[in-house]
This record gives sequence, structure tokens and C-alpha cells, in this order.
Amino acid sequence: MNGWILAAAVILAGGVGATVWGVATGPLRRRVVAQNLCTAFACPALLLLSQGYDRPSYVDLALVLALLGPVGTLVFARLLADELADDPPSAWGLTYAAAAVGALVVPAVCVAAGPSRAMAKLLFVGVLLIGGNVVASRALSGGFPEARHG
Amino acid sequence: MSRRFRLWLVAVGGAGLAALFTAAALDLPAFGGDHHPYGDRAVHASLSRHTANVIASVNFDQRAFDTLGEMTILFAAVIGCGALLRQTRDEHRATPEPQEVARPVRRYALLVLPVALLTGLYVIAHGQLSPGGGFQGGVVAATSLHLLYLGADYRALERVRPVALYETGDAVATSAYVVTGLAALIGGSAFLANTLLPYGTFNTLSSGGTVPLLNAAVGMEVACAVVVLLARFLDQAVEIEEGNGT
Amino acid sequence: MADAVIVVALLLVAASATAAVAARDPVRQALVLSVLGVVLAILFTVLQAPDVALSQLAVGSALTPLLLLLAVHKVRRRGRREGPRR
Repeated sequence: MNGWILAAAVILAGGVGATVWGVATGPLRRRVVAQNLCTAFACPALLLLSQGYDRPSYVDLALVLALLGPVGTLVFARLLADELADDPPSAWGLTYAAAAVGALVVPAVCVAAGPSRAMAKLLFVGVLLIGGNVVASRALSGGFPEARHG
Repeated sequence: MSRRFRLWLVAVGGAGLAALFTAAALDLPAFGGDHHPYGDRAVHASLSRHTANVIASVNFDQRAFDTLGEMTILFAAVIGCGALLRQTRDEHRATPEPQEVARPVRRYALLVLPVALLTGLYVIAHGQLSPGGGFQGGVVAATSLHLLYLGADYRALERVRPVALYETGDAVATSAYVVTGLAALIGGSAFLANTLLPYGTFNTLSSGGTVPLLNAAVGMEVACAVVVLLARFLDQAVEIEEGNGT
Repeated sequence: MADAVIVVALLLVAASATAAVAARDPVRQALVLSVLGVVLAILFTVLQAPDVALSQLAVGSALTPLLLLLAVHKVRRRGRREGPRR
């Protein structure tokens, strides 16, 4: 077991474990935030695993998750806009904490990959991940105002 | 059937299942061993046909007939959904009111849509080289189109999504898979046998004989099927209203 | 020691799958299900099955929640229309 896999295990146990707890209990507004943060923690873990197993093609998993994870949160934000409108969930502290995990992991795996096309792909995944995470949080905290039934 | 009898039935059935599972689990090879008779043969067959991703070789070459079955299941399931969720005589369509979307969310959706579509196509195209393939890429590509509904407006989605065209695409892709199989038959070997095309250079986009063709057919089929399926669901959820029931 | 990450992934799957079964409200269930999808994808990755993990991510992260919530939306809209008449 190398350091990369150990780091992934720590993020999984701490970050993703906390989001599993958050999504399983509590009011709806807490659950949607946990669902959003799950992507934000799982994607860096996948990048670390790809590096730990020394399989660059596993980065595709992180790429797909960085793209579709925030889309999943947008689904909830859009179709639950009625329920969330009264008391929009805004958890900017947690969002930026999760973004910081991504911002720490991506440069680390980039340095390990060295300047190459693989590094460009990793940076691309990082931008998608952090951008998507922040926009999904914005969508949850009132991204769909005047929720009509459309 | 009384409640008590049903509980007994579940308990007896569950106990039997648990016993069988335990017996089976005790006979399994140890976790993570290095003796893989099937895996070794599959890898050998895959490499001999210049397919870098062994899973793609198993799906589209060694067990291409199984994949045809799976593809047909998806095809039939989408047809079934279409029949169940069609607009009935006592329902009418109402134009949904547009939803206001915060500007960063709208921009993000419109920016990510082409990226996700391209990623879907990339996953399909590299199916024989890296993890992924027709199914995964097709779902990603089809999902990406629906960012128009999430980030913009239902009517914007309807403009880029003529459902009839996707229904045709679904059928054409399924037929393309069968036709590729029949072509091998005409070429003098078995149905869906990978003997038709040269195997190409290992680890390039054109390697693997018919694997990329079948992969592309499945990608198109899945993308079209998911779009049609979601169109039916969206119709019901957003547009179709029940008549003022009498 | 080398299997620690597999144990972590298995525990996460067990926890979120139990939570998905225990949730009664379909909306909350959809939320747990989407997290379960991500966690399952991680389990498949640590068991070296990236193709399966990619399928799980593609289907579980956006498509399944969208289908479920559209169905819930339709049922609720019908309830709203019929509610006042009862």
C-alpha cells in the first residue's frame, strides 16, 4: 500500500463517510448538501487511486464523475426547488472545504504525472470538479428562483 | 394467505437462501488469489486480436452474442416504456411555464453541455483501449443533452431533440449490430465472429477488428434509447396533464 | 494493510445501501441512491473493475435521480390537482 492509496482511503473514510452520514439522516436541506459534497470528495479520491494503482486510464472515472456529479445535484436543485425555496441550503464553508481538498489533490497528482498530456487532463478534471462543485452549491442555495411547476 | 403463514414462508425461504449462500461462499477461491483460469484465457484471446481493453474484447468479441441480448433488452424496455407512458385520450398537453435559472447555473449548463457530449463520444471511441465503451459513453452523451432542461428551459431541449429521429437512430443502431454479425456469417464464419476486418495495430483507435464497430453501434443505441426514455418521462412530468376527469 | 481501502469502500457501501433501504420517502431515497452509486463506483475501482465503475457512475450519478424525481414530480402534480376537490 503506497501513500496515494492511503490518502485516498483517508479521504474516503473521512469525507465520503461523512457525506454518507449526512445524506442518510437529518432534514432534506442537509441531505442535498451532503449529496453535492459526496462528488466533491469522491472525485479526488478516484484521482489518488488512479495514481496509486499507476493506471492513468482510471482518470476517465474521475472525469465522468466531475462532469456528471454536479449534473446530478442540478437535477435535485431543479426538481426540488419548491421544497428548498423556503429555506435554501447554503453551506459555503463546507463547499470551499471540499473544493480545497480537490485543489490540494489535483496539483499533487499533476506533479507526479509530470508535464504531459496526462497532466493537462488532470488539470481539466480539477477545473471541472471545483467549478461544478461551486456552481452546484449556488444552484442549491436559490439557483432556481420563482419555482414554478415547469 | 394469513400474515403468519407469509412470515413463515419468508423465514423458510430466507433460511434456505442463506444456507445455500453460505455453502457457496465456503467453496469460493480465496479473495484476491492469482489463479484465474478464465481470466488468463480471456486476456490471451483479447491480445491475439489486438484489443487493449480485455473487457471490450469480452463484451464485443468473445461474448458478442450476449451483448446482442442485452442490447435487445434495453431496446424492448424503451419500447415498453414508450407504450406505457404515451399520451392517452383523456390527457392533454399544457405548455409548461419557463423556469427562471440563476445566471451562473445557466452559464455552467451551457458550457458543460458540449464538454459532456464530447466526453461521451470520447468514452465510446476509446472503448477498445481504455475503460469505457458504448454503454457508458452513450449514457454520458444522452445525459449531457438534458443539461438544456436543467440549466435552461424545457422548450430549448425540445428544439434539439426531435424524438422521432432518436427513435429511428435507436432502431438503426440495433440493426447495425445484427447486420455486422450477419456480415461475418456471409464472410464464411460464425455469427458475430471477429474475422471480418484486419486486427490493426495494438493500442490504436482502429485496432480490434469489428470491436470498434459493434462498440459504436451499442453507443448509438444506448444514447438514442436513453434520450427517448427521458423524453417519455419528461413528457409525463412536465407537459401532459390529465383531462378534467369526469 | 493493503486491503484497508477495500474495507473502507465495503463499509461505505454497506452503510449507504442500508440507508437507501431504510429511507421511506422517495425523494430522500433518490438522494441516498445517488450517493450509493458513487460509493459503489469507488468499490468497483478498488476491486480493479473500472469498466463496471464507469457504468455505475454514468447511470447512477445523474440518470437514475432524474428518472426518479420526474416520476415523483408527476405524482405530486397529480396530487396537487386532485387535492382541493376531495
